[in-house]
Amino acid sequence: MKKIFLTLLATGFLMSCGSKEPKPIKLNADPCDFCKMTISNSKFAAQLITQKGRHYKFDDIACMIQFAKSNTVVPYEAFFVNDYLKDNSFIPVEKSFLLKGGTINSPMRGNCAAFATMGKQQEYQNQLHAEAITWKEVYNSY
Amino acid sequence: MKNLLLTICALFFSIATAKTIAVGTQFPCKKIKQALLLAVDGDTILVYKGTYKEGNILISKKIVFLGKDFPTLDGQQKHEVVSISADSVIVKGFRIINSGYASLDDPCGIKVYDRTFIKIEDNILDNNFFGIYLQNCRNCLVKNNKITAYGKQEQLIGNGIHCWKSDNLQIIANKISGHRDGIYFEFVTQSVIWRNVSNKNIRYGLHFMFSNDDAYITNVFKNNGAGVAVMFTKNVKMYNNYFEENWGDSAYGLLLKEIADSYIFNNKFARNTSGIYMEGTSRIKVEKNVFESNGWGMKIQASCMDNEIVNNNYMKNTFDISTNGSLVLNTFNANYWDKYEGYDLDKNDLGDVPYHPLSLFAILTENTPSAMLLYRSFMITLLDKSEKVLPSITPDNFIDKTPLMKSLPL
Repeated sequence: MKKIFLTLLATGFLMSCGSKEPKPIKLNADPCDFCKMTISNSKFAAQLITQKGRHYKFDDIACMIQFAKSNTVVPYEAFFVNDYLKDNSFIPVEKSFLLKGGTINSPMRGNCAAFATMGKQQEYQNQLHAEAITWKEVYNSY
Repeated sequence: MKNLLLTICALFFSIATAKTIAVGTQFPCKKIKQALLLAVDGDTILVYKGTYKEGNILISKKIVFLGKDFPTLDGQQKHEVVSISADSVIVKGFRIINSGYASLDDPCGIKVYDRTFIKIEDNILDNNFFGIYLQNCRNCLVKNNKITAYGKQEQLIGNGIHCWKSDNLQIIANKISGHRDGIYFEFVTQSVIWRNVSNKNIRYGLHFMFSNDDAYITNVFKNNGAGVAVMFTKNVKMYNNYFEENWGDSAYGLLLKEIADSYIFNNKFARNTSGIYMEGTSRIKVEKNVFESNGWGMKIQASCMDNEIVNNNYMKNTFDISTNGSLVLNTFNANYWDKYEGYDLDKNDLGDVPYHPLSLFAILTENTPSAMLLYRSFMITLLDKSEKVLPSITPDNFIDKTPLMKSLPL
């Protein structure tokens, strides 16, 4: 009995630590943690996780970067961006392929879209008249 | 003289030649597209009652496009229903339904491409992805349209009236519900939004982004997902509007973010989670508004400065004001606060002791929202009272020096 109780307690503690995986966005309900707008299009969404396991959700990659730059106190664990072609599917930024500009129209005018594969990035580069760009370049551009 | 006569003659001649083409089952012209081919600039196409499923109807001539008894134009959820690519077109009296859905090119009920002097009047739009979309337009009028969609949460849907990069627009007396944002302005200047009713939209009733020098007057924004947002903008006039029943964690009667030099006058904020939420807002005058039965009358973040809050009525709010810092760069003057317990010995209708609109508990809940559990407990009331006498946690300069004894007749 005591053992069960202890395991339960332990799991409870572990759960409360918060996961390091991105959480799905509730469309038209979750607000962006930077611009306060309700997120209504998950195509451009982004998510930031701190080392303590707290999740911040954003409606635009630009919002995430500006948020990250404005707060230098809390250490970050990971940055995620949403796949342009799939609702609520987050990719770690290191593994994403980014496009910027052209006819990409994001909610806060960051105008940056993320793709899961290089093939898709190249395919949409022509379609959207956009430029391929690295995460570092994007980070420094806002 | 002769020239003038000639011009007048020419004018009459051109009027005389402008013809009306009737479209309907009882006429030789049975299809709208057929009539559009026959028409020249200045003609009228009069469409009679019936259902027309002709895919995308592209108007590329200066014509008057009229519907009699609301003929239905059906996009069959595949097409943009009406596209306008000519100046001075009038679209009036249609029922426009079922535009395409959610593809990358934002299909609409009616979309105008880079045009001037367009009038869109008295139409009924039902179940479209975007309702009316003005892209890069000037001097256009959108009046008396009824725009309905059936968007749900967790679903992508377009805006009711979407205006992008435009100038000199008039949006008058439209009724919009069920879209993402009722009216959306992005890079729109010198425009007016007047007497619209925007209800039950998924996100905002009205949404301004990067749109300077506009006014919205006498509109009703009720029961929208998150109220109204005016962001990254300057010089906006907001008069005589109603902001009502916007409930939710991130819902605000009016959300102001990064906005300057604007004027909020004679509006009513009733039954919202927060009446006004301000962040990064400067040089705004909030005058003669009513804040009634809100959770928070106003939330003013510490990033706001030089705002003047004058002659407003604060009644029946759980908290009149709340803020997240100790910096106070805004002024409060001569407002009526129903929680004021001071006296007026010199009978000048102004309270003799200043009012602290910021309660201790408002600050506590701002930092620890779960402290709300203790609201109206004995201890909290006691703490609140002692804080009123000797401010320690609340900034002591956060005061209205001349609170009104009686509410203003607004």
